[in-house]
Amino acid sequence: MDVFTPLITAFDLPFMARALLVLVVLSLVAGLVGVLVNLRGLEFISDGLTHAVFPGVAIGFVWGGRDGLFVGAMAAALIAAVVLTVIVKRAVTSDAAIAVVFTAMFSVGIIVVSRETNYVGQLDALLFGRLLTVSPAEVNQTVIVCLIALIMVGFTLKEQVFRAFDREGTVAAGYRPLALDIVLNVAIALVVVAASSAVGNLLVLAVLIVPGAVARLVTNRLWLLFPVAAGFAIVAAWVGLALGYEASVNGGVDLPSGATVVLVLVAGYGMALVARLALDRIGGHHRTRRAVGQLAEPVVH
Amino acid sequence: MIGNAFQETPRANAVAALQVAEASFAYGAEPALTGIDFAVLPGQAVALIGPNGSGKSTLLKGVLGLITRTSGTVEVLGQWPAPAGYIGYVPQTDQLDPHFPVSLEQVVMMGRFRSLGWWRLPSKADHRAVAEALETVDLSARARTRFGELSGGQQQRGLLARAVASAPRLLLLDEPFNGLDQINRDALIETVKRLKQQGVAVLVSTHDLDLARAVCESVLLLNGAQVAFGPRDEVLTLANVQQAFGSVGVEMDEHTIVVPGHGGH
Repeated sequence: MDVFTPLITAFDLPFMARALLVLVVLSLVAGLVGVLVNLRGLEFISDGLTHAVFPGVAIGFVWGGRDGLFVGAMAAALIAAVVLTVIVKRAVTSDAAIAVVFTAMFSVGIIVVSRETNYVGQLDALLFGRLLTVSPAEVNQTVIVCLIALIMVGFTLKEQVFRAFDREGTVAAGYRPLALDIVLNVAIALVVVAASSAVGNLLVLAVLIVPGAVARLVTNRLWLLFPVAAGFAIVAAWVGLALGYEASVNGGVDLPSGATVVLVLVAGYGMALVARLALDRIGGHHRTRRAVGQLAEPVVH
Repeated sequence: MIGNAFQETPRANAVAALQVAEASFAYGAEPALTGIDFAVLPGQAVALIGPNGSGKSTLLKGVLGLITRTSGTVEVLGQWPAPAGYIGYVPQTDQLDPHFPVSLEQVVMMGRFRSLGWWRLPSKADHRAVAEALETVDLSARARTRFGELSGGQQQRGLLARAVASAPRLLLLDEPFNGLDQINRDALIETVKRLKQQGVAVLVSTHDLDLARAVCESVLLLNGAQVAFGPRDEVLTLANVQQAFGSVGVEMDEHTIVVPGHGGH
């Protein structure tokens, strides 16, 4: 029981409970959005968005302190999401365009922060998050931002899947893929904003990408992907927080909570990958037989 | 048989399901296809025939609004842009990701999304329409199979089922015979014939004269521009075909256009 007790007791402390609440909400939404990121292959665009949000965070912070941080992040995220959608639609080699625009923006953010000597120490918080010092007001912000992203993606979920599978098919059916893309990219940007204050700008990408990738390893069934991704993210957040707390308080090893959560996510991915490879090996001959059976099955008309 | 398919019988003076007038299309700034002028009436089928790169797929994409139209008009049942749900599109299967985690049934259900509307989940009627569409293409037994695990021919029929499930009034097929064996070809021809009887207009790109002969009243010959359009047997003359394929020594037999150095297609 000793191993599992910290999973419960660690969250008796209000700041730990708040951190858990933030991460659970974030996991739920990041899981949902992350599956779409995976299906669409938007990992690189998501990376671009995290870079683009950073100068917003930095400028907002310099301008208005911790409250300005949120406003700045939101503004940068919304602008970046729309600009990005248009760049990707127009540019022939969109990867280069994204890389150029958004690393430039990231650098602007760093310069802004370093110019303000008073705030240099805060750069850490911006880059690596400050999960354990989230205030109740910030919890509300995160929940609201996540809820908006959840509504945007939930409202268009089946159409987003359709668009991920067959863009031209959606056009033929009378949808505007550009509108769907803006909705998804804005939702991704909102998750980036919500996650930036929690796990930090540099670690957002893991929250956004790993759960979806794990779900793809676990199942091939479309509507199972979403609960699997969200569930995995929630468990990883819970275990990661408890582990970080236990190590810091009782183990004498000071583990930063955001990074610990991310490492648990990645460890989970590693285990899922190994399990998948092992299952494929064992099931190899079985699958071959199934494939042969499929070919041999007579086509009746 | 097919739930909500367009039921009206074609009339002689019915408004064209697709009317293209003096249209040109371009990829960005680069002109791709010029001088396109033809119509497809409800319940009729037009074959697009031309060599590789002659603009067959381009024309289909132009009708869908996927590429720029630089001149002329395109109207689907008298309107542009085409009203949502009027067009059913069957792309070439190699454009789709074979690893996408989606079952055949789920692909066919995509054909129902537009009429279903945002946010709402499929109703019993939608599931029935999907089941009927799968029956039409004879793939009911494969409904739960992952789309990417199906053979090329089955995928093709699955995409046709998706179009059927959307009850379109204009059906666009891009090289539907590619990679199909004779049994799958016959099944496809039967399905297209049945849809035509229900008043669906069909525009099909093909390099296979069998398909044109089996289901198409008219032929549009293409080679970067419109070479000829009219009743099938009037258009498919050796002279026209030679002009479209731009090669002396083009031969035609009953089934194929034989172009030297192009392996018969």
